[in-house]
Amino acid sequence: MFLLLAVVGMAFDLGRIYIARNEAQIFVDAASMGAAKQLDGTATGLDRARAAATALPNRWNLGTEDFKGVVIEFSTDGQQWEAEPKDLKALHYARVTAPDNQVEIMFLRAVGGPADFTVPARATASTNPVRLTE
Amino acid sequence: MKWERGFTGRGREGGHAMLELAISAGVMVSCLVGTFQFGYTFYTYNQLVTAVGNGARYAAQRAYPAAHEDLERANAAIRNMVVYGDAQPAPEAIPAVPKLTPAEVEVRWELAGDGTPLNVNVAIKGYTTDAIFRSFTFDGRPSVQFPYVGNYATGGREP
Repeated sequence: MFLLLAVVGMAFDLGRIYIARNEAQIFVDAASMGAAKQLDGTATGLDRARAAATALPNRWNLGTEDFKGVVIEFSTDGQQWEAEPKDLKALHYARVTAPDNQVEIMFLRAVGGPADFTVPARATASTNPVRLTE
Repeated sequence: MKWERGFTGRGREGGHAMLELAISAGVMVSCLVGTFQFGYTFYTYNQLVTAVGNGARYAAQRAYPAAHEDLERANAAIRNMVVYGDAQPAPEAIPAVPKLTPAEVEVRWELAGDGTPLNVNVAIKGYTTDAIFRSFTFDGRPSVQFPYVGNYATGGREP
């Protein structure tokens, strides 16, 4: 029975974890590109960048859940990141992190696995031209 | 008399063992079939997510032709990218997901008032995966939207 649950858990729970990881990575890729596209050196552009990242309709958990707790940061050099940057004209990078994607474990928890598994994802995009850099 | 009683007892035990085996084998086979179905379906869905994401990323960065017939060619190239991982695949190209065809990929553009593309949405429409014991149909999922960051080619031609 233990072995059977472990096999079922490997197929079911690990399958969902891999899908969630894939969905989250695609979301942050699109969100960071959307944010970078809006950066134009103005405060309005910064607001548009934040809105673009959060307004994406992409979902996770087999396309059933919205992303929550999305973090949007900006940088002039791709090294130092700020959520509220001061030097707007020098901004060249947008970074989006989706940290709270918790996949509920159904079968593997019965054989000693965790109750849930978090699948975070992060992507960075540059401006002019808008391209993924990480 | 003793022999008969013993024989009857062993026969009853053998019957019980057969019954137990039949019941437990039925449960085991059902579990394994279900595991295979879900496992294979999740595997296929994951491949579809990857394919749709790659196609949408490609669509977001490529040139957007304004002319209708060029846009149709561009959409065909995006569908090919989803299905084959190549905008202009060879005739004998194998789909990245078994039996997925370009007709089962939907490409939708969201345009601004002046016709400039804002977003591109790529989704799977009516794809059925065969998990041997049962088939599952994906309609509208997976679906991915990317902001358009390519060049708006008003005068360009789609090859």
